[in-house]
Amino acid sequence: MKPGTRLKSAACDTEVMVIRSGDGTIECGGAPMGEAKPAEPAPLSPDFSAGTLMGKRYVDADGKYELLCVKPGKGSLSVDGVALVIKDAKPLPASD
Amino acid sequence: MPNRAPNRAPNRAPNKARSGGPAIPLARWADRQLKTLAAETASPRIAALDGATLMGERGSNGVYTINGPVSAGLGGSRLMPTRDGGWFALTLIRAEDRQLLPALFGDETIAIADNAAIAAAVLARDCADLVTRGRDLGLPVASAHETPASPPVEIMTRGPPRDRPRGHRPLVIDLSAIWAGPLAGHLLWLAGADVVKVESLTRPDLIRRDDPATFDLINQGKASILVDFADAAQKAELVGLIRRADVVIESSRPRALRHLGIDADALVRAVPGLVWLTVTGHGARGEAANWTGIGNDCGVAAGLSRALAEASGTMGYVGDAIADPLTGIVAAREGWRALQDGGARRIGFAMSAIAARALAEERAHDAAALTRELRAWAAAVGQRFPTVARRPLWGEVRPLGADTPRYLPGLAACRSTAC
Repeated sequence: MKPGTRLKSAACDTEVMVIRSGDGTIECGGAPMGEAKPAEPAPLSPDFSAGTLMGKRYVDADGKYELLCVKPGKGSLSVDGVALVIKDAKPLPASD
Repeated sequence: MPNRAPNRAPNRAPNKARSGGPAIPLARWADRQLKTLAAETASPRIAALDGATLMGERGSNGVYTINGPVSAGLGGSRLMPTRDGGWFALTLIRAEDRQLLPALFGDETIAIADNAAIAAAVLARDCADLVTRGRDLGLPVASAHETPASPPVEIMTRGPPRDRPRGHRPLVIDLSAIWAGPLAGHLLWLAGADVVKVESLTRPDLIRRDDPATFDLINQGKASILVDFADAAQKAELVGLIRRADVVIESSRPRALRHLGIDADALVRAVPGLVWLTVTGHGARGEAANWTGIGNDCGVAAGLSRALAEASGTMGYVGDAIADPLTGIVAAREGWRALQDGGARRIGFAMSAIAARALAEERAHDAAALTRELRAWAAAVGQRFPTVARRPLWGEVRPLGADTPRYLPGLAACRSTAC
């Protein structure tokens, strides 16, 4: 998936921007995400329903995937069934 | 008796404390705001301040250089031309900000450490697209030709009033970091308030470590407490402290504050007389509430770089993070006024819009002087940032967390019983 691509959840309102990605399937609420919303919403999997937070960056354990939440929703993010976790924000330096 | 225009101060040398370099444009505007604040607070220490000192002391401390299209400090902000003839300001100050560049440009092959490659990618794209996508990504970006998205000062929420006895010393809880918010807290401290600086265990104010000369000036006299926002008990203690406070200053993005579990609007509605100052880059409501903004890119979004180009023919940054000190002064003044009024309120301050207002008012005040200063600023590229006389320290600079037990006694009690 090309960096900068916007993906929409099939199961909730979540939208993400791809920062970094491999060849796996990016999912939200247990359903694959796509550039367009499906006509019929997918069911929200109870295993992936912790919700997404606006502005948070989500990563996998290997740092291969990174997604930025640009619209929050009820589903939670995963890649090939493995949940992504929030990346901690770093403080700003004293000058720019 | 000749009639004198009451609201038009006579022109005078604006930079009385300046000891070298060109005048910082808008310092005269800052002088006028400080004069008002000094009169309203009756503070001789504020009366002794001038705009050039507050706007120039960080660059003076850091021996910055005026770098034209590159920011004066660490050079982390750059103004770059775009394909459609615009200018795009991009700030990359943390390593993880550069990791967003493939997404910004939609190009995974971009050399993220190479500023020339970044400038080439910017030149191949349209400005508005870069600004939209950069803001989606949470990067501090701006267009030199944009108009600020929010009003400069906005009352967001109102709450019940509180009668304060004469001589009451306001308690200010300063949750903000870097420059604008802490400067507002500093000015309130100069006006006599008891100010408590709150730092997060995981996100301390890095200016303390990285620029102590400036940190000390704008955080002197403040008590220091350290809070682990991941700890519910500590957060509850902090909210308890806020409920006893007169003023809160914070510069978080609104959603970050909500994520922390601090509901500013609910507190303002519940706590009589609580004055809550919310400092943002571009506004605290609507889509702009999600944008990041820091002093340099907010100056660009305010139209200052455009004004520089119009006056001088060259594009560049004006001042050092210029929207920060301008906002700090305005926030202190509005906060003080709200305290006198007595009603609880949350007031939003949008840095880009405050700098835009300063520019418009200065233009109305003395357009010719402003143009001269902008031209002199543009001609000073490569020179040292203006130096200002160092202000004295009147108060102690407290070590990080030194006052946590005093202001959050529950935490101390909890620790002592090992609960």
